[in-house]
Amino acid sequence: MTPILQQFLSEARDFLQGIGQSLLKLEKAPDDAELMSDLFRSVHTLKGNSGLFEFPEMSRVLHAAEDVMSEVREDRLAFSEQLADRLLDAMDFVAMLLDGLDGGVASAAAHAAASVRFADSLRELIRPRELSATDSPAGLRPPPSVERDSAAALPLDAVPEGLRSTWADAARRGEPLHWIIYTPAVDCFFKGEDPLHQARQTAGLEWQRVTPTAPWATPAELDPYQCVLRFDLVSAAAHDVLADHFRYVPEEVVMVPLTLATLLPAAADPPADSAAAGPAGAGTVAGGAAPATAAIVAAIVAAQVSALQLADVGPWVAGRLRAIAATLSACYRSIGREQALPALEAALGSALIAGRAAPLAEWLATQPEACAAPALAMTAAAGELPAVARTAPLPADAAASGAGEAAAGRRPDDGGLAATVLKVDQEKIDKLMNLIGEMVVAKNGLPFLAARAESVYGVRELAREIKAQYAVINRIAEEMQDAIMQVRMMPVSGVFQRFPRLVRDISRKLGKEVRLTLEGETTEADKNIIEALADPLIHIVRNSLDHGIEAPAARRSAGKPAEGQLTIRASQDSGRVLIDISDDGKGIDPAVVKLKAYEKGLIDEAMLERISDQDAINLVFAAGFSTAETVSDLSGRGVGMDVVRNAVERVNGSVTLSSVPGAGTMLRLSLPLSMAVTNVMVIESNKQIFGVPMDMVLETVRVPRSAIRMIKNRQTMVLRNRILPLRSLNEMLAENTVQVSNDQDEMATLVVQIHGESLGIMVDDFREVVDIILKPMGGILNGVPGYSGSALLGDGSVLMVLNPKELVTWQ
Amino acid sequence: MAMTYKRNIAHFTDAVGVEEAEGLLAWLQKHPQAKLNLSVCSHLHAAVLQVLMAARLKVAVWPVDAGLSMWLKAALG
Repeated sequence: MTPILQQFLSEARDFLQGIGQSLLKLEKAPDDAELMSDLFRSVHTLKGNSGLFEFPEMSRVLHAAEDVMSEVREDRLAFSEQLADRLLDAMDFVAMLLDGLDGGVASAAAHAAASVRFADSLRELIRPRELSATDSPAGLRPPPSVERDSAAALPLDAVPEGLRSTWADAARRGEPLHWIIYTPAVDCFFKGEDPLHQARQTAGLEWQRVTPTAPWATPAELDPYQCVLRFDLVSAAAHDVLADHFRYVPEEVVMVPLTLATLLPAAADPPADSAAAGPAGAGTVAGGAAPATAAIVAAIVAAQVSALQLADVGPWVAGRLRAIAATLSACYRSIGREQALPALEAALGSALIAGRAAPLAEWLATQPEACAAPALAMTAAAGELPAVARTAPLPADAAASGAGEAAAGRRPDDGGLAATVLKVDQEKIDKLMNLIGEMVVAKNGLPFLAARAESVYGVRELAREIKAQYAVINRIAEEMQDAIMQVRMMPVSGVFQRFPRLVRDISRKLGKEVRLTLEGETTEADKNIIEALADPLIHIVRNSLDHGIEAPAARRSAGKPAEGQLTIRASQDSGRVLIDISDDGKGIDPAVVKLKAYEKGLIDEAMLERISDQDAINLVFAAGFSTAETVSDLSGRGVGMDVVRNAVERVNGSVTLSSVPGAGTMLRLSLPLSMAVTNVMVIESNKQIFGVPMDMVLETVRVPRSAIRMIKNRQTMVLRNRILPLRSLNEMLAENTVQVSNDQDEMATLVVQIHGESLGIMVDDFREVVDIILKPMGGILNGVPGYSGSALLGDGSVLMVLNPKELVTWQ
Repeated sequence: MAMTYKRNIAHFTDAVGVEEAEGLLAWLQKHPQAKLNLSVCSHLHAAVLQVLMAARLKVAVWPVDAGLSMWLKAALG
């Protein structure tokens, strides 16, 4: 099941529930216009959504419901209890279809007939009287399930006789055969339908005919785009297959099962036999009572003949023979041939003794008149009886539509499948996440306990058991954490979906032509991260449109297509979400940025001279920076990129900017997938412990004191042929103590990455890596720079987590 | 081109779409004695079919495609 289908199912259930509630409320307050519009909107949306998928059955019913609601809303139809009933029934039907989809039933074709019935019963409310006069095909004929009665009207004589007897043989073997009359709607060509193609694709075709529904107009008067064709097909495919094939046009199709009784008289008797041969006789049969009775008798007798042909095995043979005899005697009585009954009794007697059907069959063979009852066309009753008597697979469609009715008639209180998607308040999820976080931290207490058991109480055995238990709890806790993260994951499409509109509006306002490309919308990240992303992204996109992409004329003169390209791409990269926003605009000119920054006093003259181009570009992130000549309502107020950087860094993300003047700009936001549990490395410095977020730590090295060189009063070292600046943590924290080295006179050095550059931070010693829940510092401490927050450790002590970025820039 | 007209023979090629119906009808009115060559036709739209049925035309060459040929013979034959 695709995610979009899942979403549809879950939304559709909500809508159905809402619709049901609105209907109930409306029954109490039928004049509430607002409630009515609400209801209309729900039905309308649900119909629209169902159109995204191939659910013609659902769309058809919802479309009818929408029509009804529209009439009510326009005051052309009064809201009544009957109307509410039918709507509720229709919604129950839709719910049933949804359950089927949820249960993996790909096609609801079996319910096509039921859906037409529901749609008709709804439309009936709109035009109860006109309906029969309307030219809509749905109004012309009753739903297909009823139309099997029209067996009498089948133009069987159009079929070659040889073919008919072949069909009779097939029917006798119980193979399905359907006569399909397909009369496409007059305007079907305008709906993109090709009835001939539809007819050609029918499975199991045995015979076909194409006729006009009316005599042909002269070529001069003919409208080639008004469909006036009627297709007659005979197919050996199963009813389900055929119903599925014609599922989009059930109201244009009549499907008549061809039973032995329909075919047999025609096959058994030469057409010259009687006055009533051919479909022309059908009218008289239906009109006169006596021929009709004869026809029924013939059908019943025919059914008995085929019953007699069944194999004489099994314990039920005697019962079957008695049933056949009873049926035949009742038939004979009804047509006044009681004189034949004693012979029948005798035949039954010998048949029972022999345990075989032969004596009865022989007796029946001596009664040719009954068998050859002059009726070619059968009434509906005659057509159905043998089918039921032989329990051939033909009544499958009756069974299918019956099942549909039964299921569609189901009320919500009958129970049924419960929805499998839960909608949960985010607060509850957050609470659960916090609890799981606490659990993760609490489990970290066990190793401490194990250590104490061993060192303080000297019980080594117990320490080992505690550790084993810890491993189990650790695994479960990690899985729990994973699971809750999955719950909180959301695709970035939620944020992305607002951009097409935003870009369209802004570019129109600016008179620019922009093509927006969104990629990787299914990339997932924690809900908080996604939400934190929304505002920075809007800033960036506005900046791109305003400063990046040039006006069409300027682009053309620069040799670029008039239409600018803006691409927003999301991807996942080892535990982080990357969002790239790139445009093919004019890019950022480092010289202009430098000058602006100087003018605004963000950099001094010396800086202006020696700053690198990349650093100059990064100046756009400085607070109060703006290059725009005029302040527009879009950008140019000097708030923007610094806001973007702060917002991204608040959720532990980073922004990198690269630009080629004249060719475009690319901004990359790198964000953690989730921010609930932080992985930190514990370090020791000046007899205190601190945490450093693991995602900032590149590596840990032990540097011999002799390898440390001084460059311009700064400590540095050479690490893998690159100069690495070194800082001492004590010095950064303004503590007047020298960093302690180990026995080999090596300094523990943490290599961290800050704004894309490496820095070595010297500490006293490294400790373990732990998972913590980082609590931001509150109150007065909130203003203290250099710390990301604090966390509780497993032994109950407080760990201060450093923010190296702030520590460095704060100096 | 799904349809080409040569003197009084209309040639049908591959699948003939709904858009050809009007042109065919106009052409048939000018050429009431027209013949049809359907040999390389694989499908024709129902709208085209009904034009052919209404005009009661002679089919000079039936389609090679057996399925289509069967249908056309049922409709035009």
